[in-house]
Amino acid sequence: MTAVSKTQEHVFTPAELKRARYLGITYIVLALFVLWFFGVGSIGEGDATLKLVKPTDRFKEFPNLVLPAAIFSFVVAAMFASLGAIQLTRGFKNMGNVVLAIVLLFFVFSFLTWAAAGKSFSFVGMMQETVKRSIPIALGAMSGVLSERVAVINIAIEGQLLGGAFVAVVVGSAVHPWMGVLAAILTGVVLGWVLAVMAIRYRVDQIIVGVVINLFVLGLTSFITQRILNDNPQFNGSEVFRAIEIPLLSDIPFFGTVLFKQNIFVYVTFALVAVLTYGLFHTKWGLRSRAVGEHPKAADTLGVSVYGYRYLNTLMGGAVAGFGGAYFIQGSVGQFDENMTNGRGFIGLAAMIFGRWHPVGALSAALVFGFAEALSGKLSILQTPIPSEFLGMAPYIVTIVVVAGLVGKARPPAADGQPYIKD
Amino acid sequence: MLKKRLSLLALLAAFVLVVAACGDDDAADQTTTAATAAPATTAAPATTAAPATTAAPDEPIEDMGPAALACMVSDQAGIDDKSFNEVAWRGMLQAEADLGVTVEFLESQDATDYRVNIDAFVEQGCDLIVTVGFLLADDTGAAAADNPDTNFAIIDFPVFPDAPWLDADGNMVSNVRGLTYQTDEAGFLAGYLAAGVSQTGVIGTFGGINIPPVTVFMEGYRNGAAYYDSIKGTETTVLGWDGADGLFTDNFTSLDDGRSFGQNLLDEGADVILPVAGPVGLGTGQAILDFNAAGGSAMLIGVDADMFFSAPEFGSILLTSILKNMDASVFNTINNIVNLGSLGNQYLGTIANGGIGLAPFHDFEAVVGGELAAELAALQVGISDGSISVGFPGADEG
Repeated sequence: MTAVSKTQEHVFTPAELKRARYLGITYIVLALFVLWFFGVGSIGEGDATLKLVKPTDRFKEFPNLVLPAAIFSFVVAAMFASLGAIQLTRGFKNMGNVVLAIVLLFFVFSFLTWAAAGKSFSFVGMMQETVKRSIPIALGAMSGVLSERVAVINIAIEGQLLGGAFVAVVVGSAVHPWMGVLAAILTGVVLGWVLAVMAIRYRVDQIIVGVVINLFVLGLTSFITQRILNDNPQFNGSEVFRAIEIPLLSDIPFFGTVLFKQNIFVYVTFALVAVLTYGLFHTKWGLRSRAVGEHPKAADTLGVSVYGYRYLNTLMGGAVAGFGGAYFIQGSVGQFDENMTNGRGFIGLAAMIFGRWHPVGALSAALVFGFAEALSGKLSILQTPIPSEFLGMAPYIVTIVVVAGLVGKARPPAADGQPYIKD
Repeated sequence: MLKKRLSLLALLAAFVLVVAACGDDDAADQTTTAATAAPATTAAPATTAAPATTAAPDEPIEDMGPAALACMVSDQAGIDDKSFNEVAWRGMLQAEADLGVTVEFLESQDATDYRVNIDAFVEQGCDLIVTVGFLLADDTGAAAADNPDTNFAIIDFPVFPDAPWLDADGNMVSNVRGLTYQTDEAGFLAGYLAAGVSQTGVIGTFGGINIPPVTVFMEGYRNGAAYYDSIKGTETTVLGWDGADGLFTDNFTSLDDGRSFGQNLLDEGADVILPVAGPVGLGTGQAILDFNAAGGSAMLIGVDADMFFSAPEFGSILLTSILKNMDASVFNTINNIVNLGSLGNQYLGTIANGGIGLAPFHDFEAVVGGELAAELAALQVGISDGSISVGFPGADEG
């Protein structure tokens, strides 16, 4: 796959040229926007102080990032304008997406300095929360990557998260928190198995099966919560895993706090991304999985068990999503509430598409969504003139903008969603 | 392909919500029948509730006395939310025990359920339908206009001044009792207390949805802190509500949001947090436990019920709770119906009539100290007799 895309990169299709032109115009428009709203808008408002350390950190004397709001935004606007000009005239060749990422990053920073002009806020806290909030989304996306790479569409991620959370709280409070996590993983596997049997063996429409699983889990967990958990609170209160500080690394100002003072779910998620990336693209299992997803007939002809791989990966995907469900309990609040996943599974699905069915892409996408969630909370505190209802929409606006406009070509596995019938 | 999938996704998400709501109604209906089958036991002690007044035959309301059926429609948080809906439901249970009436509830999973649930209860012949919350106001008003023979009571909505609900003939509906609460009075006390115990000089709050019954807590809290500053000459920053807009999770269900918002406020230095968001506040409690486990010392203020009893796991961080005694007013309404045959006047709970208040400090008795407690008691008297205004005019200067 990588080999193919490399050879194609130097031949631009008309669609790509059109996209490049749109991007250039977008940069210019953004430059004007930043100039007018963030630049002119924050003249005389003073400096924005972004705190990079917490008072409990080891190097709490580390300086804060102080940006003169207006000047910073003027510089950013000038930078965008020149980038737009280059994009329109010369283009960035294969650096296009890197430039796009840089532009977005600076746009957000410019926005932050405008919002925080004359004030200060804990940037490190916001980024720590970004990472934490992205975990269930990333795990949901990873679950989707696993099953869609073998062409089984998993709409049931939301149900697997919710089911995992429910079982995690019951087992976690009745037996032991770690057993709760284990039970959540098993729950995900069982739900994955239902999906697999329906989709692979009985060839039921995969989207319908997924929806049914979601509804089933939502109804069942809500019912049991109302009838049993509420009268027996001893089954609805598991211990929460506290943050584990990695020695030395956690003392690094800013990055140490953001990345190395987190709970076990964060570390496992990052490890999982690494393992899956290696597994999918550098092992026999990964090659065969992708073959099954792209061209099952060819894989079958070469002696790869199409059904076997589909079952295996769908079950593994279920396990990952079930683990993600346990995040809501052992990794977050320790209690179950009806529909507490609140659509995170669906956002995870969007993250998978945004991340182009690649574990690293999916994690990056999840971080973007996590950032939007953390940002909207922070901005309300800063008393920006933006209404709180609008800030609440931020994560979804990001979803729309990102998926509709910026992804460019995203190609699912060729056989995605198609049942395989062995002759 | 991508576009098609995404639109399908969106459609599915919407579908899931709708169907989930319907599915749950079935579940609730089943239990409804179970509940109706049970009242044999509750009917027995009903001898206390057989006053002469209800015997009046010409009352428009039929089947009064022990046979009355009182029904409650909750909002999305459900009657087990450990705060808002649960307190109201407690009033229903008390009426079941003391008056011998039969009680039932339906939970709303979605805004589209409100009217459906109300209509289901009208059909069932409920003598009183209590709708829990401001969000149900429009549907309650419409249902009341359509069913003039059924009695309604709505929590957190002042029926007459704000809602000229008219029936088909253009007359103002008279079958709804608004149960409202001057919660800013209690919020004022909580804000004063929070400003008094805060070590960092920063206190925080956030709400579920930006609606008056939620923001009234936050407004009182902010004004109370400002009042403390004006007396003591301190400077307290209130995060999350600036008098016009503030911090809202935009839902009453996601505990993870509550944890995240709590963490956010803690990061900005707040050491007393008031979440006005039903069960979402439980997540905030967890964030504070986490924060304190790492060496911090932050506190939580509960709302609606005394969280020390409704959520004992947070007893060690619970400074106090703002009590909104909805159970008393719900019970009072049912009592009126059973014993007087009418709804009664519009209800407004205040500090003076005990409809709202501040819970004991429990584990924080020593932290608060006698001096501050005495000041609060004096403040309470001042608010009751009207000598202190909770719409503290100097608040905007703080």
